[in-house]
Amino acid sequence: MIKINKTKVQDAFAKYIFIVCACMSIVAVFGIIGYILYASVPAFRDIGVFNFLFGTLWNHGLEDSDRWDITQIYGILPMFVNSIIVTVMSVVIGGAIAIFTACFMVFWCPDKFHLRYAGKNKAVAKFVAWFNKINLRSIFDQIIKLLAGIPSVIYGYFGLSVIVPILSAINGGNTGLGILACSLVLAIMILPTVASLTKNALEAVPEQYYEGALALGNTKAQAAFNVVVPAARSGIISALILGIGRAVGETMAVNMVSGGRALFPTGLFSFIRTLTTNIVMEMSEAKTGSTLESALFATGFVLLVLVLLINLSINLVPKEFKGKRGHKVLKGDANADIRFVKKGLVPEILKYVAIACGALIAFTLVYLIVFILVNGIPHITWNFLFGESTRTTPTLLPSFISTGYIILISLAIALPIGIGAAIYLSEYSKPGSKVVSVIRTFIDTLAGIPSIIFGLFGSLFFAGLLGGRCTLAGAFTMVLVILPTIIRSTEESLRAVPMSLREASYGLGAGKFRTIFKVVLPNAFAGIATATVLSIGRIVGESAALVYTAGMLRTTVPNALNPMNAAPTLTVFLYMCWAEPMAANPAMGVAEVGLNQAYATAVVLLVITAILNLLVYLIERHVKKKKG
Amino acid sequence: MFNFKKKEAQPSREKKQPKEKGNKLEIFDFSGDTAISVRDVDLYYGNFQALKKISLEIPKHQITAMIGPSGCGKSTLLKTLNRMNDLVEGCRVEGKIIIGGRDIYAKDTDLSALRKNVGMVFQKPNPFPMSVYDNICYAPRTFGIRAKSALDEIVERSLKQAAMWDELKDRLNKSALGLSGGQQQRLCIARALAVQPEIILMDEPTSALDPISTGKIEELCLSLRDKVTIVIVTHNMQQAARIADKTAFFLLGEMVEYGDTEQVFSAPKDKRCEDYITGRFG
Repeated sequence: MIKINKTKVQDAFAKYIFIVCACMSIVAVFGIIGYILYASVPAFRDIGVFNFLFGTLWNHGLEDSDRWDITQIYGILPMFVNSIIVTVMSVVIGGAIAIFTACFMVFWCPDKFHLRYAGKNKAVAKFVAWFNKINLRSIFDQIIKLLAGIPSVIYGYFGLSVIVPILSAINGGNTGLGILACSLVLAIMILPTVASLTKNALEAVPEQYYEGALALGNTKAQAAFNVVVPAARSGIISALILGIGRAVGETMAVNMVSGGRALFPTGLFSFIRTLTTNIVMEMSEAKTGSTLESALFATGFVLLVLVLLINLSINLVPKEFKGKRGHKVLKGDANADIRFVKKGLVPEILKYVAIACGALIAFTLVYLIVFILVNGIPHITWNFLFGESTRTTPTLLPSFISTGYIILISLAIALPIGIGAAIYLSEYSKPGSKVVSVIRTFIDTLAGIPSIIFGLFGSLFFAGLLGGRCTLAGAFTMVLVILPTIIRSTEESLRAVPMSLREASYGLGAGKFRTIFKVVLPNAFAGIATATVLSIGRIVGESAALVYTAGMLRTTVPNALNPMNAAPTLTVFLYMCWAEPMAANPAMGVAEVGLNQAYATAVVLLVITAILNLLVYLIERHVKKKKG
Repeated sequence: MFNFKKKEAQPSREKKQPKEKGNKLEIFDFSGDTAISVRDVDLYYGNFQALKKISLEIPKHQITAMIGPSGCGKSTLLKTLNRMNDLVEGCRVEGKIIIGGRDIYAKDTDLSALRKNVGMVFQKPNPFPMSVYDNICYAPRTFGIRAKSALDEIVERSLKQAAMWDELKDRLNKSALGLSGGQQQRLCIARALAVQPEIILMDEPTSALDPISTGKIEELCLSLRDKVTIVIVTHNMQQAARIADKTAFFLLGEMVEYGDTEQVFSAPKDKRCEDYITGRFG
């Protein structure tokens, strides 16, 4: 009797803990939105909502001037317009390339090379045989994943040193910075998201549609573009919307190539400032409690509302085909000229476009990596990596320490909460439950919030709580950033555990608690491991959320060892290499020494990203092998 | 002046050429009595031989059924007839399959033209996620028909041939996915009929359907017989007996018996075929 009671109490107690974990995401979302709204109230009150939203001038330097009123100098309309324009351009360019790339990956990417070697050199023959064994499809998959994992600051440098010079040449030697550069960099950045989601959507289309079209005499290109792509359209539209959300929220890379002027654009090369870059540029000048600070929070609030609206619009995408209007009355003409002829040039052309896009992506990634490696490796020295860091000659050691701290602390908090929430969602929810769908909406919302918003929230809330910017504040902020990834990935793997295992456990008299911890969780280990690695990747690559929480400050090793002090993570350090010379002299661009350090840091980041991607790949392969 | 003759000669040649080009889809000549002639066909999936020296002549405008236990190669053979097995990796075909006077495994075979003339209906109904109208117009459109009047004509004719016109004429704009399974399958047949194929291959078309829908499809097959040649793979021996003119029995990749349906079912020559038909195995 006593035993049964114990189990019952245990089960009931566990359930409430899991519910609390799951509700954390709701608290987080409300907390963030509420807090940012609260912090922006002074701005809305002093400046006026209308003046703020539709004012065309932003210049906080005029605050002390007698000629200007405070209501006139905080207008975000130009930045709002810039954000929209840059987003639209990048989604048109990047989205199109991504969709074609996905088509290439699904329909035309060959599995293997088919090289032939007729000569007698054994070494060459061996090499060719090895070369032919390479699985091209999975390599292309990895290329897309690696592109997704590269920190956005590295894209910023890529934009600055590759794209901007090319644009500058096109612009007749004038500057290449500005709206077009932003759009191109953003296009590359949203590409992996859109491409991989489109690929999933295309692969989810039943094989029978493809076969059915072929059996009606379609070529493969016709079947692909006339049947499979339209059948996947709701998935593709969702992918594009997520891409839009990402483009609107992207901060650092855009900041680096934007030029930074809060004006309406006049041409492809006019300097711009977007909502996100406005926050990151001016935040360092905002004093606590100033109108500027509140106005920046208000900018964040507008951005947040914009992104939430975009992400919520995914729910409006119709999932299923609905009948078209038209064809109401047939007016068949028995004498109509029905002559079947071979047609279909367009799909064939699209096929080559798809192949070209695939090649372009592969080339871009290889070029980016080679470019960083060639420029960075010569400047990697033992002293730069692990030497004693001073304010005049900073090294990476403090950044390694702070990055490590943030990874450990945020995982230690986010993993238990995330796993608990996932357990609630998958083990305790009933299908169709309202509570669960609400929680899931909030998790998705949290996942869609741009990291600059997390940075804003953390800079005021966590850094305020802890008495200033510090590594710990950065870690707390990152908990919010990685929580959705952990919940989703864990939940997916929990759901993949076969029902029969649970039934077997219950059948042997085990309680729910015991079943979850002894049977379900161990079988979902791979998913949790993947979530952990992905989270580490997110932390390593993050910059916008950390600049104003963990701080952007040259520091020493002893200082960095105390998590209550500010210390830049690796990616923030990389950003500093650009931002510091810019702050000293905006016209200067990147100083030579800073640039060398930047490339060396970028190499370190690339290596870490590649290792993390490899880890995910190995875990996934391990799971596949176990299953198959 | 002295070019005059050439100029006159050219138009006639030009006329012929576009005609050949325009009719590239009609490269097959179905005037003979034999629709399909399979000659010594071996088929391999990698190292596994799925078909062994198959030879058979399928007569025009008749229904030919292929029966046999699972894995005997009947579906495989069906798929070789319009080269759908090209999609299967590691699949290799040896021997000849002559359709409309051409070896369809010759290198220069135009797959579009082949499949326009040899339509296919699959085991599971596979209408596209479009309206009924667009489903039927799908193939005609890919073969260059854009005129609304012509498309309307095709839709009406195909649906009438498939005996679905009365059921569907008021819901042409509705999604095909909203139809019942049996209706979906008959729509797939109508869709195949839209480009006026000479041959329709059916791969267990009723295995996913209830008896009433099955009956409708069988009726449909019988009514189509004077216009198209039908080759049907079926698990259901009664079905073969009910609708087929000719029946072929397969076992382990070999064609054991082939003849008139009556003869195959009442007086099978081969012992294995008799055992299968009388239900001793399978």
